[in-house]
Amino acid sequence: MDVIVQGIIQAAHLLLGGDQEVLQVTLLTLQVSGTATAISVVFGVPFGLWLALTDFRGKQAAGSLVNFGMGLPPVVVGLVVSLFLWRYGPLGGLGLMYTPVAMIIAQAIIATPIVAGLSFAAILSVNPNLRWQLLSLGATHWQAGWLLIREARLGLMAAVIAGFGRVISEVGASMMVGGNIKGQTRVLTTSTVMEVGKGNYDMAMAISFILLVAAFGVVLLFTYLQHGGKGGRL
Amino acid sequence: MSDFVLELRDFTVYRGAGKKVLDIDELTVRRQELVAVVGPNGTGKSTLLQAVNLLLPHQGQMRLFGQDNTATTGTLLRRRSAMVFQQTLLLQGTVFHNLALPLRFRGIAADDIQPRVLRALQDFRCDHLAGRPARSLSGGEAQRVSIARALVTDPELLLLDEPFAALDATLRGELIEEIRQLAVARGLTVLLVSHDFADVLHFADRAVAIFGGSIVQDAKPEVLLRRPANEQVARLAGMDNILPCGIEPDGPGRQVKLANGLRFPCPTDLQQPVTACCLPGDALLVWGQDRPEHDGSRVVFEGRVQRVQPGVGTSRVVVTAGDLTLIARVPRKAITDGIVDQARVTLAFDPAEAHFI
Repeated sequence: MDVIVQGIIQAAHLLLGGDQEVLQVTLLTLQVSGTATAISVVFGVPFGLWLALTDFRGKQAAGSLVNFGMGLPPVVVGLVVSLFLWRYGPLGGLGLMYTPVAMIIAQAIIATPIVAGLSFAAILSVNPNLRWQLLSLGATHWQAGWLLIREARLGLMAAVIAGFGRVISEVGASMMVGGNIKGQTRVLTTSTVMEVGKGNYDMAMAISFILLVAAFGVVLLFTYLQHGGKGGRL
Repeated sequence: MSDFVLELRDFTVYRGAGKKVLDIDELTVRRQELVAVVGPNGTGKSTLLQAVNLLLPHQGQMRLFGQDNTATTGTLLRRRSAMVFQQTLLLQGTVFHNLALPLRFRGIAADDIQPRVLRALQDFRCDHLAGRPARSLSGGEAQRVSIARALVTDPELLLLDEPFAALDATLRGELIEEIRQLAVARGLTVLLVSHDFADVLHFADRAVAIFGGSIVQDAKPEVLLRRPANEQVARLAGMDNILPCGIEPDGPGRQVKLANGLRFPCPTDLQQPVTACCLPGDALLVWGQDRPEHDGSRVVFEGRVQRVQPGVGTSRVVVTAGDLTLIARVPRKAITDGIVDQARVTLAFDPAEAHFI
């Protein structure tokens, strides 16, 4: 219990005291996870939309594959991305290993199936005839698609929140492809693991608390957007 | 400009795993026609409307407004028609926002949107709802708004896919009459899908009966009502008496034998085998004690009243005659003391009123 209290006090101290290293690690965490989530939205939402609105042979298999992807173990993703980015790997020439870009790639791979799968479910939750109604009222396929996204906004934002929550809290892939290099690829989760490894439990607790505050702040922002900017209805 | 709004030939629609759900040899709809498409649930009526609205792929020929449907004309042709679904399918936002959408899809200038939306709302007496959230409306209000939304762009063809199904009888009647008046006033062509024949009689000049994805009868609603093409249409149209029968030789001619043994000369030259005699309830006359002289032109027989169900204008009298149960629709004034439960009565009908299927 003392460790938790000490950790919270130390976290407040670090945050209010403007500790440069903690600030840098927090910003990098938000930058990496935020970018990865944005990439997963760019790929996942249209894919989920397409999967929900298109009838094709093997649709069920594709849906199962996406559902499987939602539970993709970060360590496996980290390993595969490492193999690709390693000096002698197929993409080794790009020199991305142990950089924030490598972490973004790994996290985007983890988040995309989550965003796609939950987008798929969100679009399916909208009345299936609504798209036809919009087309019937004269909408082009693009106009109908955009309005469907707006109608499914609550579910889609939940998909984004879930994707962000997953990547900001993962440690395995970030550790493997980022290497937890101080000042370069150290994020809040890898930092926590390192502090635990060193036996600094109060510091680990402080960083974890900062991680929770950062994650909560972003999720709060998403939830605000989810409800169309109506703060009073959160 | 083509006289026809819709021309279908050898038209088929497949759904799911290659299942043929619609197979129409020919169907044409002229401008300003009010056509009802009737049939039981799951028979392809809605599929027909969706295919006509270019929402489903099809095979065979379809010409809309005299033009073939191609990749370049699809959206433009669809924009000349509008469809209203059974569910109201209103979007989040206000009623005004919902009605403005079809105009925005077409790139109508913002200044022109407001007067057109308000006019469409006024046409259906729901202009007071303009600022209300669309999802907070009652069922009747929502359906009025969704019809107003379909008409805000002044479409040439209105496709109504059972939009009255969830409404009570009073609202239903009101709305059908309002749409009919508006359609006639504006020269609209309307295709109305319904499984309720009362809607058809109120609304349409022409009824197309679909069973199993194919058209089985295409005629005036009164013809479907009194001269149905088969037993399914007869049941759909609410034919009171569908009596099993057979045809027997009778000297040089032929006679009809009903299941209760009643025989009468065959009134028409039947080319095909028949299994049932359809007799509308209002063609069956009922007398209590004061039986008229038998002039030989009618088929007369005895029966026993099982039940008299009062109604507006006419009463429904259920009578048994041998093994048959018949329903007669008797004008209120003709219900005498002799027509009561368990009374013996005389029944008669003109054989020319009988229709054989």
